[in-house]
Amino acid sequence: MSFLKKSQIKSPWLLHFDCGSCNGCDIETLACLTPVYDIERFGIVNVGNPRHADVLIVTGTVNPRNAVILKNLYDQMPTPKLVIAVGACGCTGGVFREAPNVLGGVDKIIPVDVYVPGCPAKPEAIMDAVVAGLGKLKGILEGSK
Amino acid sequence: MNLTTFYLAVAGLILAPLVGGLVSGVDRVVTARLQSRLGPPLLQPFYDVGKLMSKIIAPASHWQGMFVRWALVASLAADVVLFAGGDVLMCFFIQAASASFVAMGAFSGSSPYSKLGAQRELFQMLCYEPIFLVSVLCMAKAAGGFDANTIMNAGAQPLLYKMPFIIPGLVFVLLVKMRKSPFDLSACHHGHQELVRGVFTDFAGRDFALLEVAHWADVVVILWICSFLWATGPLQMVVVALVALFVIILIDNVSARLTWRHMVKVAAPLTFVLAFANLMWLYLE
Repeated sequence: MSFLKKSQIKSPWLLHFDCGSCNGCDIETLACLTPVYDIERFGIVNVGNPRHADVLIVTGTVNPRNAVILKNLYDQMPTPKLVIAVGACGCTGGVFREAPNVLGGVDKIIPVDVYVPGCPAKPEAIMDAVVAGLGKLKGILEGSK
Repeated sequence: MNLTTFYLAVAGLILAPLVGGLVSGVDRVVTARLQSRLGPPLLQPFYDVGKLMSKIIAPASHWQGMFVRWALVASLAADVVLFAGGDVLMCFFIQAASASFVAMGAFSGSSPYSKLGAQRELFQMLCYEPIFLVSVLCMAKAAGGFDANTIMNAGAQPLLYKMPFIIPGLVFVLLVKMRKSPFDLSACHHGHQELVRGVFTDFAGRDFALLEVAHWADVVVILWICSFLWATGPLQMVVVALVALFVIILIDNVSARLTWRHMVKVAAPLTFVLAFANLMWLYLE
């Protein structure tokens, strides 16, 4: 595998978007950056800018208002990109899925690569999801010329 | 120009970005250790740049690519001049041009954060350039010439003894140029500031990778000029550069970001007056 392709797996920069979460999953996501979990070991940086990001981590349910923003953020990210839906709400809409203003999980709007269940999802599970997503990306890169 | 100078110039062109990347890697590892973390691998900055090079994204404006390439050319030219033992003042001016290109590239984007970052970048230049200029003048006055070779062969006594008051100024310049707290106003590496990527917001993909390489080249120039303070031998210069790097990382980790008003009204005038007093002292001596 060439250096450029290898670099894509070794340097995933995160964009974290709170779509309508109760903040439980957001706290767990940000906990990954703390010394206890130290997500930077994998070269992961929380960039807060879609134009620099490789991995989009979305928490919470999608409703008609934030769906536009979610799609916009996804479109601004350079390819190849990964999307990780975190928490029960991000995966399916969770307990709010029947609410009149809720469209459902993140995959109703943008394609999701990895789902992280849990309410809230554990930091270990979120880190595992990023690594699993990178494994998927590695497979795609190895398959391409 | 003899052949040795030519070889040194080519070495500068190739080695400076590599050394700058390693410095960036050391910076990230040491920062992580200071925060009780393991941190990324030492070569992480190279992976980051490699990744950015392979990304596909449209530029925010047609002008950006041109400004980025000029910034890279200017930064590398500053390295080449320094490696070849050329005029340090020339090196300083070329580097200022590089910083201006980065700001112009950010102004040509569409994001308000990018424009805010570019304005702050100009404020930073307004603050550190005079101090940096006076520091270089001090070195040239004490060594008897502006050439890097002349300054490095100035004599047995380190220049530091003749210019202790430019140290705060050089620390200020290093903090600004390396984008470290408390003067990481236009852009910073960490996600906990009010304007995170600032001047870099609109740059992405290959353009952003080239800017990062230009930044590495800049860091090498600044650290090298700092190491002139104890230029009694190559080893001593490396030690001075490493000490300077560690001091900057330490300050970055123990301080929060200040406002640009504080930088313009307090930090810059104070360090400038100290450095200027040192210059006057050298002239009156």
